[in-house]
Amino acid sequence: MASANQPDVLRGTLDLLILKTLTLEPMHGWGISARIQQFSKGVLDVNQGSLYPALQRLEQRGCIESEWRTSDNNRRAKYYRLTASGRRAVGAETANWRRYVDAVELILGIA
Amino acid sequence: MGIISGLRARLRALFRRTSADRELNEEIHFHIELETEKNVRLGLSRDEARRLAISHFGGVQRVREEHRDVRRLQWIEDFIGDGRFAFRSLRRTPALAGAAIITLALGIGANVAIFSAVNAVVLRPLPFPSSDRLMMITEENPEKHWHLNVAAPANLLDWREGVADFEDVAGYTDGAGQTTLTGRGDPQLLNGTFVTGNFFATLGVHPQLGRLFTWDESWLAQRTQAVGQPDTRPHVVVLSDRAWREHFGSDPGIVGKSIVLSGTSYQIVGITPPGFSYPVEGIDVWRSVEWNPAIRGAVEFRRPHWLRAIARLKPGVTESHANAQLQAVVERLKREYPGTNKYMGAAMMPLHEFLIGDTRLPLLILLTSVAFLLLIACANVGNLLLVQAAGREREASLRLALGAGRGRLVRQAIAESLVLSMLGGACGLAAGWAGTRALVRLQPEGLLNVSNFGVDQAVLAYVVLISLASGLIFGVAPAFWARHRDPAEALKSGGRGAGQSGHAKRWGDLLVISEVALALLMTVGAGLLVRSFWQVRHVDPGFDSRGVLTVRIGLSRAYDTSSKILGFQNQLIDRAHAIPGVTNVAMTTSLPLNGPAYTSDFIAYGRPAGDYGTEVSNRTVSPDYFATLHVPLKRGRVFTSDDQQNTTPVLVINEALAQSYFKGQDPIGQRFAFDKVPTPKTTWYTIIGIVGNEHVDGLDIAPRPEVFHSLIQEAYPYFTLMVRTNGDAASLTSSVRAIVRSLDPSLALLGVITLDRVREDSLARVRFLTTMLLGFAVIGLVLSVVGVYGVLAQVSRNRTREMGIRIALGAPAGRVRWLVVRQGLRLTIAGLALGTVAALLTTRAMAKLLFQVTPTDPATLIGVSLLLAATSILAAWIPALNASRADPAVTLRSD
Repeated sequence: MASANQPDVLRGTLDLLILKTLTLEPMHGWGISARIQQFSKGVLDVNQGSLYPALQRLEQRGCIESEWRTSDNNRRAKYYRLTASGRRAVGAETANWRRYVDAVELILGIA
Repeated sequence: MGIISGLRARLRALFRRTSADRELNEEIHFHIELETEKNVRLGLSRDEARRLAISHFGGVQRVREEHRDVRRLQWIEDFIGDGRFAFRSLRRTPALAGAAIITLALGIGANVAIFSAVNAVVLRPLPFPSSDRLMMITEENPEKHWHLNVAAPANLLDWREGVADFEDVAGYTDGAGQTTLTGRGDPQLLNGTFVTGNFFATLGVHPQLGRLFTWDESWLAQRTQAVGQPDTRPHVVVLSDRAWREHFGSDPGIVGKSIVLSGTSYQIVGITPPGFSYPVEGIDVWRSVEWNPAIRGAVEFRRPHWLRAIARLKPGVTESHANAQLQAVVERLKREYPGTNKYMGAAMMPLHEFLIGDTRLPLLILLTSVAFLLLIACANVGNLLLVQAAGREREASLRLALGAGRGRLVRQAIAESLVLSMLGGACGLAAGWAGTRALVRLQPEGLLNVSNFGVDQAVLAYVVLISLASGLIFGVAPAFWARHRDPAEALKSGGRGAGQSGHAKRWGDLLVISEVALALLMTVGAGLLVRSFWQVRHVDPGFDSRGVLTVRIGLSRAYDTSSKILGFQNQLIDRAHAIPGVTNVAMTTSLPLNGPAYTSDFIAYGRPAGDYGTEVSNRTVSPDYFATLHVPLKRGRVFTSDDQQNTTPVLVINEALAQSYFKGQDPIGQRFAFDKVPTPKTTWYTIIGIVGNEHVDGLDIAPRPEVFHSLIQEAYPYFTLMVRTNGDAASLTSSVRAIVRSLDPSLALLGVITLDRVREDSLARVRFLTTMLLGFAVIGLVLSVVGVYGVLAQVSRNRTREMGIRIALGAPAGRVRWLVVRQGLRLTIAGLALGTVAALLTTRAMAKLLFQVTPTDPATLIGVSLLLAATSILAAWIPALNASRADPAVTLRSD
């Protein structure tokens, strides 16, 4: 559930979060957004409007694949799964992110 | 793998756009549903939960759009969008689109038809395995002015034995001879040729039934010759697939059976595969030459030249290497046989090149002509689009002002052109296909060696190529127009939708000028050919072709003595004379315009050694030949029935020979022989008369020196009967047939044709080319006139206001009309000047096809220019008339 003080996921980081989430298991869109919210202990709320285009983008880049499957509650849902190159991307992107955060920390720490 | 699946997703998305949208919808629904359930679990009412879920999701439409943006292959979508837009805008102006497509279809159709011919004759390889290794060997003799000549059998055999680079060398008689098939109902005429036993193997042809000839079959058996016994092997024949079907009902058991050809029995040994016909179309039977091995060293085997020689190079051998070996053999033969071979050279060229031969130039000229036609069509369509663009000025300006990219507008213009050109191309392909059929029917026999050409992949590729190219060509003008538009300018004046911008006008002018120039070029080319054709047609052939029916007759081997042949011929003459209306009857071994029967060296008695001549044409004729064809006797006498086999051999010569060889002497009474150097065995003839010159080789080729032998003194079983009547020659056909049948029922007439027809047929090629070129030129001319009209109509529309004011101020109608016509004239004259310069530079290429007309013939140039100027004024007149009728009240009010 959304509330005003929850920050949206930063645009650039959404892809990384999706990929990281999908390392656990194939999931559908809602599942991904729920997981991200859950893991971030409710801090991060995925903007639904950008989730689906992001999934589409990742699929075109070949990082994920999708297929229609029956969900736990017996309804048709589109499941996304990490591909090999997606798996590689998670590693690289994570490293990038760490470097970025460290850099930001350094700057913030100056004051 | 990731990339591939990604690409697959993109493509799937592109082509299944709606299904992708549907999937997304389903996904969103699913999402909202789960969210709703979550909210319900948190204690909200169902409605409230759903509302919250939807609002949390954000704008569904925005997600869809973004989703689409990501997945589409932007440029293809844009392209399709442009195409759709183009279609729509073309549908809005069906008259314009129709005119453009018809114009293009004409241009492209003409190109398709001509290109199919070029493709079939020039581009497609010969239908033989490794056909690039097949060479034509011709004899070249500077002394006799021989070029690409047929070979003497002995020379051919020496090349075959002496050149190691040749896998094999085969010979065949050129063209199709005719033979009579008897013993199966009515006598049938078949086309046949004689070949050496290795002919099929050299070409690489395999039988569909039975076997083909072997090398041994070229020779009468040596073994039996040695003991003086005749060769007991049967004569052999190979049938074409067509003959097998048409004359023998595709009898599968035909191999081994016998047929009678011109009175001789032949055993059928095999059938060639379907479609094979060489050296010309329509061959029914191939027979093997049958040489006596004893003749191999004889001069009679080296003097007559009658075989075409094809060689197959060994794999990996270069043409030049083989040629060097060939020349070595040629030099050796020159030394060993100076009597016959002193000046006898040989040349080698790829067989394909030889077969294309002199078809290349006419095809090239036709191809150029249709290319011009297409360019004119493009200019016209470009013009139409410009006019249309001008009409849509406001729309385009508005779009520009509202922020549409200029690039986008240019692309739009090009898309419209491409859609048009593709539609035009499709219609053109259909038109071209029909044109190809027509071309096959209309072409004179032998112009295009392949008669079964049609639309294949190469032609399709060519259509796509020229359609695209023409789309780009005529799309350039409107595209530039789109680029250079200044919205502020256009909107300022846009209220009236008036004046074309300077750019558009300049493009329009340029199009008209180039159209007129191209039309001039085409028409001059056609005009030159027409003039040349006119000249050739009015050449005095030296004989009177009206009212003469000719019948080619070949007697069978049953007529094996002179007296039998003469007996038949005398009876034939007597019977033919008895036909009502017949005034003269004669016979000859070769008709005028059909070439000499043979040519030979010659010398007159008493001339110093070396004062001989070469290449005199020999024909053998009956005494009435000259009277029948109205060939005038200049001096002396012609043959009579007193010139018999046991009297002095006599000759009649023509004026050309008298003037070239007997300058300043009286030839009559002189003795004449067919040798360079007389020997005691030489036969001396006495010249008894001089007759007028006849065109032997063609109307466009000057008469050559000729001698005539008497058909009584030298009997030939193959001859042509000529019957002159006061009435219609063709009407004699049935009576002549009946006479021949009554004399010998086993004879088929090898060809019944009036002499007028012979004369016309000798012009078939040039007539064909002239007609085609003239047809294209007329289309080009009409298109260019339409182009001039189109531009001026636009001009006069744009200046309606101005004209209205002028008229209101009292300008006379004539003056207003002149304003428009003047503009048309200005463009036309510029076009004519440009076209004339181009014509002066390029028509030289046609020189070889012209007869007594120079490629820069001033009469043609001036005539064509005047014609074009006149038609342009005519085209300008209608818009001028409209302009002069501008009603000031109306035009001024419409402001």
